[in-house]
Amino acid sequence: MPYHTFECSKMLPDREKHAVIKGPGEDITSALPLGNLNTVPGTITERGCAYCGAKHVIGTPMKDVIHMSHGPMGCTYDTWQTKRYISDNDNYQLKYTFATDMKEKHVVFGAEKMLKQNIHEAFDAFPNINRMTLYQTCASALIGDDMDAIAKQVMKERPGVDIFVCNAPGFGGTSQTGGHHKINIAWINNKVGTVEPVIKSKYTINYVGDYNIQGDCEIMTDFFNRMGIQVISMFTGNGSYDDLRAMHRADLNVLECARSAEYICNELRVRYGTPRLDIDGFGFDLLAESLMKVAMFFGDDCVEKAKAIIDEEVARWKPELDWYAKRLKGKKICLWPGGSKLWHWAHVIEEEMGVKVVSVYSKFGHQGDFEKGIARCSEGALAIDDPNELEALEAMKMLKPDCILTGMRPGEVAKKIGIPYLNIHAYHNGPYKGFEGWVRLARDLYNAIYSPVMNLAAIDISKDDFDTDTGFKTRTMLSDPGVPREELHTENMYTGKMDIVTPLRGKKYDFPAPEPKADAVV
Amino acid sequence: MEMKERIAILENYIMQRCLWQFHSRAWDRENQNNGILGITKTMLLGEQPDISTPELKCYWVDAKCLADGFKTKFPWVNEMGKEDIAVMMDGLKERIDYVTIHGSLNEELTVKLY
Ligand code: SF4
Repeated sequence: MPYHTFECSKMLPDREKHAVIKGPGEDITSALPLGNLNTVPGTITERGCAYCGAKHVIGTPMKDVIHMSHGPMGCTYDTWQTKRYISDNDNYQLKYTFATDMKEKHVVFGAEKMLKQNIHEAFDAFPNINRMTLYQTCASALIGDDMDAIAKQVMKERPGVDIFVCNAPGFGGTSQTGGHHKINIAWINNKVGTVEPVIKSKYTINYVGDYNIQGDCEIMTDFFNRMGIQVISMFTGNGSYDDLRAMHRADLNVLECARSAEYICNELRVRYGTPRLDIDGFGFDLLAESLMKVAMFFGDDCVEKAKAIIDEEVARWKPELDWYAKRLKGKKICLWPGGSKLWHWAHVIEEEMGVKVVSVYSKFGHQGDFEKGIARCSEGALAIDDPNELEALEAMKMLKPDCILTGMRPGEVAKKIGIPYLNIHAYHNGPYKGFEGWVRLARDLYNAIYSPVMNLAAIDISKDDFDTDTGFKTRTMLSDPGVPREELHTENMYTGKMDIVTPLRGKKYDFPAPEPKADAVV
Repeated sequence: MEMKERIAILENYIMQRCLWQFHSRAWDRENQNNGILGITKTMLLGEQPDISTPELKCYWVDAKCLADGFKTKFPWVNEMGKEDIAVMMDGLKERIDYVTIHGSLNEELTVKLY
């Protein structure tokens, strides 16, 4: 597996081992991109900072919490509300964001007093919210404000209030991944084991590493609940602060995004003996097997329920998935997410949607993510760690993909060179998890690739003469030439509703009665 | 089909489908590979695995899916004698250990803490 050198990065020898092409018959022991290293000077990275990883990725999806950044306004404002991690309490955590708005005078004279005042003001303004997360930023870390001490003082002064302090300043790691790590460890060190949950079922899990992007987590917890499994906590999508303090009581940790949340699962295993089961919530085949695995852990009654769910969902949604797969067959895509989707999707999207993954990349992934991703993708795929904008452009020109699956920033760059992009960070029209969600992804991919606007946008209108009566083709004119005549029907296009998450809220579930258990805490 | 070829097919199946072999540290991967491939071997040999602790049960669910997958995707597995299955699973374990641990280029495998 040769390392790939980008023309545009030839003058950056440090970039030499950050990209590889999977050659015929090669495996991950032949070559592996470097990962989780400091960004090379001279390259413009798309990475976020460690504070961003801690707060904007992991902390803020917690729904019943005042999330306050102790630092300048810009830290908290940037990326606020672009994440779309919704919640079933009217999106409280998306509607409101809090910052202490640190200024020069605070840097000179200290900001602890002002921090304390801010905390009180926030609790006064929202008397129904009595939980808070406090995030350190570069500025508050450098001046050495003792945020833990202030939090303790406030908790003493306001009984009933609980505050979590996360010391993950922007410079605390190579990228957002440093913040993921710090908040995982801080949470287990300071909060897990401080609340006892109400146990409603014989079977309990924590669902870890899902941030409820457009409802992903709610789709999955609905499956688990229907299987008779109580989800004690969601880490952290649609998660409740106090539920997450009770993570130590679950029988099993079911882990999705290992990149951002394996740390807490590993520590729960070491400290409390709770096993870690890695699953894939995306793709019919892998999702079905994942649900079966969770069910098998608990027993036959759970297995029966899981089987019934899988049969029902596959029968309902497979014909619609196939409709899109027929039209997506052979289309080339670049799978350029932040972290875990490169390995969650690399193989199953090829198998089930017929597309070809020509490249995978990660901004902040570690080498372990590339091992998983490269193992799962096909020969010829180009894997890149922390690409800069010029490298991404060069890769697109070389690979000529039909669509880029990525986030907003690289996505907009792709659009400028006439390649459609699908937002797989915040999603276009998710949720994408679950069986129906996977069809929604296929639908969005189809719409991105075959949108008539892509052809129209490619017409060079800077010239005096261009045809005004040609160039327009409908979506189906573009997508259907290769489809057999008898299969041209449209009734198997996606027929689900726009909002598939709200109806799940408030659903009642039957749980098998819990059995008395020996104290699991060590 | 030669044994080496069979092992390569099963290795490829694991690499494309599973996640359990890629835990973040070498010692962790050793435990995972021993636990899951050990139980898979026991099951393919028609013996009863020990699932008396939550940890073993968790290995077992991955192993059960793997054994079932092997049997349905590759019908030749069902026709093999016990001795051959044991040789094949030992060879497979050796390959997975090599790809994920001993031959792995992942520099984080030896980091002390999680
Ligand atoms: S790097 Fe520092 S200053 Fe910049 S956003 Fe992150 S925490 Fe704020």
